[in-house]
Amino acid sequence: MKMNIYLTGVGGQGLITFASVLGQAALHSGLKALVAETHGLSQRGGSVDVHLRIGNVHAPLIPRGNADIIVAFELLEAFRALNYANDNTVIVVNKRLIRPPTTRAKIPSINELVSELRKMNNTVYVIDAYNEALKLGNAIFENMVMLGALYSVSDVSKFISTKAIEESIKEVIKREREENIKAFHVGMGLINTQRQ
Amino acid sequence: MLGNHAVAHAALEAGLAVAAGYPGTPSSEIIEYIIDHSRETGVYVEWSSNEKVAYEVAYGAALAGAKALVSMKHVGLNVAMDPLMSSAYTGVRNSLLVITADDPGMWSSQNEQDNRWVGLHAHIPVIEPYSPQNAADLVKLSMSMSQRLNHPVLMRLVTRVSHVREPVKVCEFSKPDYAQGYLKDPSHHALVPSNARQLKGELIKRWESIQYAVEDLPHEYVNDGRVLVITSGVAYNYVKEALRDLEIPVSTLNVITPVPLPRRLIANAVSNSDKVVVVEEGDPVVEFQVKEVLYDEGIRVPVYGKAEGFFTRVGELTLMNVEEGLAKALGVELRGMRSNAQRIDVPPRPPVFCPGCPHAASFYELKITTAKAMVKPVFSGDIGCYSLGINPPFNEQDVLTNMGSSIGLGMGILRGTGGRQFIIAIIGDSTFFHAGLPALVNAVYNKAPMLVIVMDNRFTAMTGGQPSPTQVIDIAAVAKAIGVKYVYTIDPFNVKEAEATLSDALRKVKDGELALVVMKRACALEASRGRSSLIVKFTVDPDACKACGICYNLIACPAIAPLENRKAWIDPNMCVGCSVCAQVCPYNAIKPSGNAKEWLDKWAEM
Repeated sequence: MKMNIYLTGVGGQGLITFASVLGQAALHSGLKALVAETHGLSQRGGSVDVHLRIGNVHAPLIPRGNADIIVAFELLEAFRALNYANDNTVIVVNKRLIRPPTTRAKIPSINELVSELRKMNNTVYVIDAYNEALKLGNAIFENMVMLGALYSVSDVSKFISTKAIEESIKEVIKREREENIKAFHVGMGLINTQRQ
Repeated sequence: MLGNHAVAHAALEAGLAVAAGYPGTPSSEIIEYIIDHSRETGVYVEWSSNEKVAYEVAYGAALAGAKALVSMKHVGLNVAMDPLMSSAYTGVRNSLLVITADDPGMWSSQNEQDNRWVGLHAHIPVIEPYSPQNAADLVKLSMSMSQRLNHPVLMRLVTRVSHVREPVKVCEFSKPDYAQGYLKDPSHHALVPSNARQLKGELIKRWESIQYAVEDLPHEYVNDGRVLVITSGVAYNYVKEALRDLEIPVSTLNVITPVPLPRRLIANAVSNSDKVVVVEEGDPVVEFQVKEVLYDEGIRVPVYGKAEGFFTRVGELTLMNVEEGLAKALGVELRGMRSNAQRIDVPPRPPVFCPGCPHAASFYELKITTAKAMVKPVFSGDIGCYSLGINPPFNEQDVLTNMGSSIGLGMGILRGTGGRQFIIAIIGDSTFFHAGLPALVNAVYNKAPMLVIVMDNRFTAMTGGQPSPTQVIDIAAVAKAIGVKYVYTIDPFNVKEAEATLSDALRKVKDGELALVVMKRACALEASRGRSSLIVKFTVDPDACKACGICYNLIACPAIAPLENRKAWIDPNMCVGCSVCAQVCPYNAIKPSGNAKEWLDKWAEM
């Protein structure tokens, strides 16, 4: 078994925490997990990506075109991540547009971006994680909402139990653990409603 | 466990007593982890003022007979080269583990130098792990090897070991192995020429015994076919997975020590082969040495590696480029990897200043005041968060090469233009203490008329907010004591006052004086961490906003965005209440949601 999960977003959105939680949950489920992160020049606001590989793997980086799942925490970054996609890649994307502060270019609307993304990829799940997180009281829960969404659409659930994820959230995240677990469940529920 | 944490944990298991370092990506988490466990273990650990000092602290401890470690990023080792070269001559009494974290691909560095060369240059053995678990194992091996040989050992990490997480087996920490006292031995520890000549001979002898000793290390050799792939470090991971994908029988030899190579082991392995492929991260350090071994042994087989153009010499290895290189070297067909590599035009998202970053305010004020004063300065930049001042809308970093270079290169440009060029050197607080101080001494001593801006955000922020000497030592007082006549300290969040002071300082430089301005305000991330309840956020009154764009175009705060109608909008989840946008708004359209002064005063206490 080998699963390549490519995470992309904007600095400060909690990608590393997301990967640590899922990686730890994989370990608890008896699977090897490798998480590779790149610390860029700024702590906030730049593009960031994290490679999460689960199963029988050695190399820390996912080769281009070989992501099984892309989790994009921001819409523009989802397009940048398409280099890692192939025809079977599942994309879970946050319905959130973060304008690069220094660009003067005209940026398409959220709906335009979503429909463009759907043209380029067969399987795209759009999740309003940001607003769901705000409903829970803090944008910081955005990443766990995304994790819940990923969990319910991917093969991850075949190998890792929700219990393992909950345990891992408790280990990795220091504050507001219950709220984070709740955010994870909210994320799972979002996909179910989308399917109906 | 993060690779760097695995390294630190293993050192604590092995009885580490003294650790020192200077922050630098991708190395910083090693010292941070030791700091987090210093109380329970009794280890002495410090963030030093620069890598040379850090090296000397660890080196001195090891000369006394303690188990010591020093850690830094690859370019930091350049700063520490002076004591490093000497440490090979004197040797050490217990173990000295020198850790360099290289950054192939230059994710957060100015170059991608391969510090395995340093081992050849200095006669210090280099150990190279390929994963966090392997790093933990090899830290223990390196420390015992250093102790056994009475010689420093250099461990070369790379981004994809330091910043990779995988399961790592850990044990209890050991009691720190401190020395009981320092036993004097000047003939071995004092490098006056007469001693040094003697010690050079001893060093060469010791190097021969090291070459012999590395043969017995647990290098991983798998004999499976007439093609031999030699790897070192992180390359081993890519090769293992690539060979599995290519499904061809190939022998592999992963060496623990790229310097010096286990010559006998390599000669034996090659004698079973018709072809050798060398895969390594960085420069062809192993490849060159393998060729040397084969020449010495009189073995003629083709050796394919970076020097032969089979693998990239720029940037880091990936599974894809290793598979391509291996397929080419082995003459096999590469099964096509599918990729939707359509080119999509997405606006770039370069790294930017965080919301409420005091540097953004400082660069804004500097831009306004230099324009008003009609000076066209060269902005001589430096390494730190303020490097990002290179990006629009600021464009205020013209030269930027290495730690502390702002003042030195600025002086050089001043001299090289016969004094005609107006120089503004911009340096951060941690970088000022790291390597800016000697340059400032030179500016005073050799009377260089220029403006030095110290952007003092109270932390070594770019590497994750480590403490900085500025928290203990007042930069303005240091500058005055050195003899800088015009020294100012201002708060960049007080826009009017900052602009007035900068204008005054610019006049002094025009008059041929050296002036220094400390722009002092703590890092916004550090100030707001855990204090979200205190933050007073700002909002835009849409009726008062005239869509002039000054706030979002000139400060470029990520929290401010233009709406469809070009009016400004502040993201309440990002705003940290620095108040700068409110001060620059000509229409008074940006207002705090509470007592902003109280929050800013609290922030100013840091």
